[in-house]
Amino acid sequence: MDETKKQEQTTTHKIGIYLWIWGLLFVLSFFSYMVDWYQFQGLLRWSLILIFMFLKAGLIMAFFMHLFWERYALVNVLLWPMTAIACFIFLMVAEFEYTVFTRIFYFVVGG
Amino acid sequence: MSEEFNDNKTIQAQSSESISGGGSGAANDIDYVRPAEVGEQDLYHGHSFISKWVFCQDAKVIGVQYFLLATFTGIIGLILSWLMRLQLGFPELAGFMTAEHYYQFVTMHGMIMVVYFLTALFLGGFGNFLIPLMVGARDMVFPYLNMVSFWMFFIAVGVLLASFFVPGGPTGSGWTLYPPQAILEGTPGSGWGIMLMCISLILFVAGFTMGGLNYLITVLQARTRGMTLMRMPLTVWGIFTATVLAMLAFPALLVGALMMSLDNLLGTSFFMPTILKAGEVLEYGGGSPILFQHLFWFFGHPEVYIVALPAFGIVSDLISVHSRKNIFGYRMMVWAIVGIGALSFFVWAHHMYVSGMNPWFGFFFATTTLIIAVPTAMKVYNWILTLWRGNIRLNTVMLWCLGFIVTFVNGGITGIFLGNVTVDVPLSDTYFVIAHFHMVMGIAPLMVIMGAVYHWFPLVAGRMLDEGLGKWHFWITFLGAYSIYFPMHYLGFIGVPRRYFEMYDSPYMTSAVGMNEFISIAAFIVGAAQFILFYNIIKTLKVGKPSGHNPWKACSLEWLTPSVPPEHGNWGDKLPIVHRWAYDYSVPGAKEDFITQITPPSEVANTEVEKT
Amino acid sequence: MSDPKIEGYVFKPGFKGMADDTGSDQTMFKGVHWGKAMMWIFLLSDTFIFSCFLISYMKGRGSTIIDWPNPSEVFGLHVFGVDVPLLLIAIMTFVLITSSGTMALAVKYGYEKNRKMCGWLILATAIGGLTFVGMQAFEWSKLIHEGVRPWENPFGAPQFGSFFFMITGFHGTHVSIGVIFLFIYAYKTFKGHYDEGKRGWFTTMKGDYVEIEILGLYWHFVDLVWVFIFAFFYLW
Repeated sequence: MDETKKQEQTTTHKIGIYLWIWGLLFVLSFFSYMVDWYQFQGLLRWSLILIFMFLKAGLIMAFFMHLFWERYALVNVLLWPMTAIACFIFLMVAEFEYTVFTRIFYFVVGG
Repeated sequence: MSEEFNDNKTIQAQSSESISGGGSGAANDIDYVRPAEVGEQDLYHGHSFISKWVFCQDAKVIGVQYFLLATFTGIIGLILSWLMRLQLGFPELAGFMTAEHYYQFVTMHGMIMVVYFLTALFLGGFGNFLIPLMVGARDMVFPYLNMVSFWMFFIAVGVLLASFFVPGGPTGSGWTLYPPQAILEGTPGSGWGIMLMCISLILFVAGFTMGGLNYLITVLQARTRGMTLMRMPLTVWGIFTATVLAMLAFPALLVGALMMSLDNLLGTSFFMPTILKAGEVLEYGGGSPILFQHLFWFFGHPEVYIVALPAFGIVSDLISVHSRKNIFGYRMMVWAIVGIGALSFFVWAHHMYVSGMNPWFGFFFATTTLIIAVPTAMKVYNWILTLWRGNIRLNTVMLWCLGFIVTFVNGGITGIFLGNVTVDVPLSDTYFVIAHFHMVMGIAPLMVIMGAVYHWFPLVAGRMLDEGLGKWHFWITFLGAYSIYFPMHYLGFIGVPRRYFEMYDSPYMTSAVGMNEFISIAAFIVGAAQFILFYNIIKTLKVGKPSGHNPWKACSLEWLTPSVPPEHGNWGDKLPIVHRWAYDYSVPGAKEDFITQITPPSEVANTEVEKT
Repeated sequence: MSDPKIEGYVFKPGFKGMADDTGSDQTMFKGVHWGKAMMWIFLLSDTFIFSCFLISYMKGRGSTIIDWPNPSEVFGLHVFGVDVPLLLIAIMTFVLITSSGTMALAVKYGYEKNRKMCGWLILATAIGGLTFVGMQAFEWSKLIHEGVRPWENPFGAPQFGSFFFMITGFHGTHVSIGVIFLFIYAYKTFKGHYDEGKRGWFTTMKGDYVEIEILGLYWHFVDLVWVFIFAFFYLW
């Protein structure tokens, strides 16, 4: 769009920060693979999976996608709609529990 | 190719002039507006007929293209509704129609009217035409993408209409397309019809996403100097918020359509439970039909507001202009639009009270549904308070607006009935529901569309539509629509179910026969009355009164272009500079009863303008 | 990136700045290129698509009363006489993260107008993406060979196959589209289109290195989605 005003130098970040994040992502991926390797089960498994997942996702968004350096106006617009997704997830958990309850009640127990 | 672009010299001149104009006495000069942040937009000016009128990159032409194609599709929907009413009112005259036909017509009428007519017309039609003009942009930010968006819509409509000619005909599963019946044998169009419907919806979503990105980024990033978000006309706010909803809600439809096509084509069981058919177990098993309903209504409820919010916005502007008063509570109106939009993502399962979902959901969704009535009611109060002691011009546009308010209140109140689980359960799947949603999202937005057509037609064609014909059009439509839908409330109360091909011989249904005949006759008349508008448009294009600049004496930017109708690029060689909101009507102390958005403050120094 | 300079506008940090940006005229995202803003909003919409897929998967998996196959075993590989769980998926994850890293560096070098470096890094990203798609094709053929189909599978609930092919297929389509664009952009970078501001093939916009960042956003998003698919589909 802009021809005349783009002349100012866009500052970039030091290469070190990208390499750091890159390394961290490898380490976190390795950890989440280890969750499966050691066959952790139950609550420990799920919480570890979720923690590593959110850490990785957060690092990618914050640094590789530059959200950490963006102004809040953009960050805010991107994050608020996620509440709708959170609500959808929450309700669908309740829904599948109810579905599986009815299925077991009618098909297995036999009403 | 490069000579076809704007010459950048004028642009350089303009930006340097504006900087020197404002930069020096910034603190004292009350007319100062910050210089432009970004340079001028390059526009591709077409030269041949094809690049000017067919594959055109001018948002105004694209808007008109959307408008025409959506109207064409809408007429098909109208004809389908006539056929349905013929069957319901006078089955002896509709001998050519089987039950399968009836279900196919019901389905196509619903889908066409909601998605391909209203959504495309409000966002594609009005959005394209009005957003760049109202925010003071030269065009949409991505004109090429915008052009592709229209042609994707064109293909989507083509695929949809093609389903009338495939073996088995279009799908007859109702516009909600619920599985398992949508893809099981016995439902009309269970093979080809439903596939084409899914493909058409996916194409529509893809095309709409391209357009929607344009509308959003134009509003957010391409406003003219001085145009803050809180100075935008409510029309833009309505279309903008509706587009946000569309961008976030259509994905659920896309996913649902994709999964259903896979169920149909590959025999997966996303939505298909174990099914016994004539004693035999089908190959499907273990899927969850209710998942489709959740996905569909996660799209479907915001879709209602995708249709309603632009109508809210447009009607606010029309009421303000034609009662010569600023809109009452502008900020409240903006926040109500945003609030309704946000809440609409948390109410979807009130369409599913009788579906067999988790019974506790009734609590949650009834509560959120009733909460959404609060901002909606605020908007109605504000429209009425805008009219209160205004200098009302009772012209055609104002009549449509008043008709909208009445109809919308009517449909909104029945919505409160249906939002409560205990009231909804006996009323669901009756004519009461049909009356409710036709009032609130059929007739009410249609009234706004009509009002908007009479209001903005001069901007498109430079001529005024005929007022006399317009009033006939309004009164027949308004009284006729009430004759159609008011009795339906009663039919619903006595328990007449919707989507029935025939009423058979049960005593309470035969009592409805007379009323059904009356409704059908009204429906034929109202449908035919719409052709008054087409006659009016054709007549006006030939012999209509030239409108000149700003025929309604409006404040907002779209009327302030150097030429009416505006040319490609909208603003000649200089972009407008905005100093105030779009609603400075009847300001005490002003010479005229309106102060435009581009009037500098120094020219109206002695008036009591709102600080916006 | 750091705040750009805009004449007549004072940048404030944090939430005060957010209020000022939102309330100001002309733009809400100050200094953000139109195309970049568009890509962000598109990705938001795409996030909803993938969320709907994963939510459907959750609902489908949660409500089936037939046992769900153990992904650790299904996706395991038999190498050198040992059964290694999820080996292929782990390698795919590392490949995708590697390509994400090269893309991030390509964006950085693009902004520094280092044409050669930027081009080679984009090419490396494209090759990473291609490797990923290839490995996914291998994984698909292996599962199909073992009898997994979209409508059935020998290990348990038939929905396992349905969701697997649909979700990884949709993600794979995203990766493939990204690879095509990466090759196109690598070509355009080497040709110097972004240095001389050559106009695009379809659009009227002049070339600028910001387009590398826009493509980068898309590519990181593909990686981001894989993080969620990896966690929910393969590990859960």
